[in-house]
Amino acid sequence: MSDFGFALQLMGIGMITVFIILSLVVLIGNLIIRFVNKYLPEEVSKKVEKIAEQTTALNRKKVAAIVSAVKTVTEGKGHVTKIEKMS
Amino acid sequence: MAILEKLYNMTAIQDFIDGPGTILMLVIGALLLYLGIKKKYEPLLLIPIAFGLILANLPGGGMGVVPAEYIQIDEHHYKNLFEIAHDHGIMNFLYYSLIKTGFLPPIIFMGVGALTDFGPMLRNLRLAFFGAAAQIGIFTVLLSAIAFGFTPAEAGSLGIIGGADGPTAIYTTIMLAPHLLGPIAIAAYSYMALVPVIVPLVARKLCSEKELRINMKEMDKLYPPKRKIKNLKAVKIAFPIVLGIVIAIFVPSSVPLLGMLLFGNLIKEVGVTVARLSDAATGSIMNTATIFLGLTVGATMTSEVFLNVQTIMIIVGGFIAFAISIAGGILAVKVYNLFARKKINPLVGATGLSAVPMASRVANEIAIQYDPKNHVLQYCMASNISGVIGSAVAAGVLISFLG
Repeated sequence: MSDFGFALQLMGIGMITVFIILSLVVLIGNLIIRFVNKYLPEEVSKKVEKIAEQTTALNRKKVAAIVSAVKTVTEGKGHVTKIEKMS
Repeated sequence: MAILEKLYNMTAIQDFIDGPGTILMLVIGALLLYLGIKKKYEPLLLIPIAFGLILANLPGGGMGVVPAEYIQIDEHHYKNLFEIAHDHGIMNFLYYSLIKTGFLPPIIFMGVGALTDFGPMLRNLRLAFFGAAAQIGIFTVLLSAIAFGFTPAEAGSLGIIGGADGPTAIYTTIMLAPHLLGPIAIAAYSYMALVPVIVPLVARKLCSEKELRINMKEMDKLYPPKRKIKNLKAVKIAFPIVLGIVIAIFVPSSVPLLGMLLFGNLIKEVGVTVARLSDAATGSIMNTATIFLGLTVGATMTSEVFLNVQTIMIIVGGFIAFAISIAGGILAVKVYNLFARKKINPLVGATGLSAVPMASRVANEIAIQYDPKNHVLQYCMASNISGVIGSAVAAGVLISFLG
């Protein structure tokens, strides 16, 4: 086979391989998301819900940001149990 | 008089007179330094490459990388590292131990992985397909380069520039055509630096104003995603582990690059417990690797190797590969939009090549010019990150078939 014919074949193989691998990326991503959603839903979101129920003035995104910030700063050891607006 | 002659012979003046190519190479080195320092074109790599080039071309300095034949004893035996250092100097010691072994590109990929956030891609998984379409430039230029007289291995190294990923281009070239390493590295990093010029050029030629105005967030509101991620951190930790194993099964030759990328990403996502590892991967290790990679790649560019027609063809071919890759991603989105209700902005396709995150930032700026509320950065990052995986897989295929 000529070099050009071989390169043409390689083009087909290469593009199909890349497409298959990225299809697998999509498939694996979706499977992991399904598995995690079913068996490992985030605790923080439950906590956010709980805290957000107590607070009316703060919106949920702000509560989520505060909970995440506390978690990061305390390296996962600290927890927000209540948020009160001072004024 | 004899003493004066000896003194003259000690200097490199006669070498400069005998070899005008040396002076031309020093001018090229100075130009690259100017682009890196003044214009800030990929300065982290361009400055070490340019200085390595200058060192390699200083007559009598012994800093230029010698061809592989010089260190080969017979068909399967090479000089050991002590002999290389003794016979050819420290630059060859660094090149043959760190570059020729394929050591540094995967190390840099580990750092890239530790800097990469797969979150945008996981939130918009269907956009990952456009990272595949944008690899078309690699294979189109492979074909063209063969037509212009390159060997298949050389053509593969040239084509990989279209992946817009520096470490991938260098790794592939080391494996397939190490004698072209210098010009290919220069072309790859120069065009990555020129992403803010090339992406708008191709996107404006191929997209209508209406297409560039497609608002992805509005589309998300009209057609909301089927499922939300309830624990993104857990998904991000599991993803590199599972993906690494699956890719290793299908394209094992891409594992040195992708395996290290995914490992780097894993230590980033695990978080504070291994923060020291991710700090090292993105800091001291990556910076050290970048210095040695730049200097040694630059040192391969001696006047005898660099000043030829092939170099010019690589520079031109690299640009074409880059442009075709961008066009391939855009055209894939256009075809998708013909059949889908939920339209996608073609700029998402334009970022299907690597060059993370600059390509996404440039695409976002273009979208904002047409509609100030249309922030497409997160969506472009999805195809941009999948482009990194796509180009590494394409490199794996090329190495498997041509190596």
